[in-house]
Amino acid sequence: MRVNLHFCLDWARSNLFSSPLNILLTLACMCLIIMIGIPLVNWLIIEAYWSGTTPADCPDKTAACWPFIWARFDQFMYGLYPETERWRINLGLSLIILSGLPLFVPRFPGKRWLIPVLIVAYPLIGTGLFLGGNYGLTYVETGRWGGFFLTVVTALFVLSTSLPIAVLLALGRRSSIPLVRVSCATWIELWRSVPALVVLFIAIIMFPLFMPEELKIDKLLRALGALTILMSCYMAEAIRGALQSIPKGQYEAAEALGLGYWQRTFLVILPQAIPVALPQITSNFIGLFKETTVLLIIGLFDLLGMVQNAASDPTWLSPGVSATGYLFVALFFWLFCFSLSRYSAWLERKSSLYKLQ
Amino acid sequence: MVNRDIVYQVALLFIIGAVVYLIAATTQENLARLGVDSGIDFLWKRAGFEISQKLIPYNANSTIAHAFVVALLNTLLLAAVSIICASILGVIIGIARLSDNWLVSRLATAYIEIFRNIPSLLQIFFWYFVVLRTLPRSNESIELFNCIFLNNRGLFVPAVSFGQGWAWIMGALFFAWAMIYSLRKKERQRELVHSPALPESGRSNPLASWNLLILAGMAGAVILVAGAHWQVPQETRFGYRGGIVMMPEFLSLVVGLSMYNATYIGEIVRSGITSIPRGQSESAASLGLPRHLTNRLILFPQALRVIIPPLTTVYLNLFKSTSLAAAIAYPEVVSVFVGTVNNLVGQPVFIMAITMAVYVFVSLCLSLFLNWYNRKIALTGA
Repeated sequence: MRVNLHFCLDWARSNLFSSPLNILLTLACMCLIIMIGIPLVNWLIIEAYWSGTTPADCPDKTAACWPFIWARFDQFMYGLYPETERWRINLGLSLIILSGLPLFVPRFPGKRWLIPVLIVAYPLIGTGLFLGGNYGLTYVETGRWGGFFLTVVTALFVLSTSLPIAVLLALGRRSSIPLVRVSCATWIELWRSVPALVVLFIAIIMFPLFMPEELKIDKLLRALGALTILMSCYMAEAIRGALQSIPKGQYEAAEALGLGYWQRTFLVILPQAIPVALPQITSNFIGLFKETTVLLIIGLFDLLGMVQNAASDPTWLSPGVSATGYLFVALFFWLFCFSLSRYSAWLERKSSLYKLQ
Repeated sequence: MVNRDIVYQVALLFIIGAVVYLIAATTQENLARLGVDSGIDFLWKRAGFEISQKLIPYNANSTIAHAFVVALLNTLLLAAVSIICASILGVIIGIARLSDNWLVSRLATAYIEIFRNIPSLLQIFFWYFVVLRTLPRSNESIELFNCIFLNNRGLFVPAVSFGQGWAWIMGALFFAWAMIYSLRKKERQRELVHSPALPESGRSNPLASWNLLILAGMAGAVILVAGAHWQVPQETRFGYRGGIVMMPEFLSLVVGLSMYNATYIGEIVRSGITSIPRGQSESAASLGLPRHLTNRLILFPQALRVIIPPLTTVYLNLFKSTSLAAAIAYPEVVSVFVGTVNNLVGQPVFIMAITMAVYVFVSLCLSLFLNWYNRKIALTGA
């Protein structure tokens, strides 16, 4: 016990109180933690209302109000999706996640065949199960999609559609044909310099003008298309960086074997480039996940939009309720983005080890 | 091989032309059907709406083009203030992460991990709807030194009022800057002539103190002549008047965007500093260079080379995310133009084109400037 205490004191002296400046900094930090941490814990946990599901359970209007979350939890998760049909979302999302999981496991057998299968399966799940209208399932229009469900569907849809486009754009930007190179570069740089919100507004306001009158495209689909265009440009830059890191010898060796351009690219270059690009692609995906909140500005209710909508309901309206709502969303996003960023860091470590060998 | 390339290019050109033609034709048809007269004449019409924050005189009778300039200035102001705040906070966080004080570095890490993984729009909402909305009303403002006031109408800080003399001050400052610049250039050349082997010798620039003196002298002289005075916000029946007013929308955007982007800048600064080999600071120490000169002359310029390229990306992202202001109705380009003006005149094609052009143009300028700066500080020769 004494040894332990001695060790602790020693550690504190060398890590916290090694110089007058450090003593000052340590004290300042402790003050900061006490000044922010204690009121926060107090407000969020100790003085908060935890039980009940009605506005009457939160008499103090400034205290944290968890009953609000309990009462509206289903809405935050499923949006305005009909209550009796929510099993479809649970089933569909579990199918998507379970079938996609092997992709993240290194050396999973048959990974090569899984991707084409998923490319066929995911749209089927999306249209067949979520949208419905066939096989005895009632039709649920996309206007009723919302909450966390919409956030996840948007992120996954945009990821899976933008990746193939991004590969083509990146290859185009490195093409030997001048016009292909210039047009891909212009396309990528144009969309990369415009905010996501502006691209979404283009899809909402301007896109209908581009199409013949008879052709009406669903609002959600237009928004997803806009995000796909945007995301594919960001991903293309990540893949281009990876393509540049492949040694020239690889291209030359493939050419010496008599492989044509597409064979060379898909059998030799891309299998090496994609793992290199993966950390960057993951961090782009995190960015996309956070960017989905912008959907609420164009009137599609993602998780944040749903919470904001619910917090402005007059029966609940109070500062404590909206603060609790925002913190709940923050916690949700944080959990997802933080674990994804850990995954990305792990990928990076792995690929740097691979490079060292 | 070359022949095939030409065929590809002709085919691509044809496809692009066809797509553009089809879209243009359909759009024209649709616009004609909707009865929208195309053209940018709408820019010279009377705007008819107020804008809550304006840096130049504007009222409802001004033209739409005028409203556009007001909105553009608001965007640029928001971007500039956020970039400055984010940079200051980011540098502090980046250095704090490398501190040998365990608590300081852990706190900085926690800050980065928390705020980087929460969407910036959510952070802006939090500051706007939760923090600034719940501030006291105007007559119960939070006061600081009896001249800074914070309430639910915004932050009120004193301003320096120059009366008519502000043009003189700008002129004088510009003149002082030009003088300093030419003096420095001369000094550089002199140094190069006298010690060509050591163009950037370790001793501090003897002119540095002179520079400050010139600048302060010029500013002081003009302020005395032009008669500047402090304008402190005064409480009236309708809230505070005078001084600089920062709207709650502006404040929450600055705080939200700076705190979010500072996490990225912090990581960039940290990696810039850690990228410098230990030998650099050790050899500087063995040459007898004091700690602060080592930082300024050896470590900082080298770290900057690593920092600038990724910093460009963060600044561009920050500039683009000023468009999130549309969510809380801060009058910048997207909310004024795509929101208000589009509802008013219904000219989506031109309005979106102008909005896009603004972002493309400013992004291009910003990246050109930072690329130029990057080339300037890059290692030459060798």
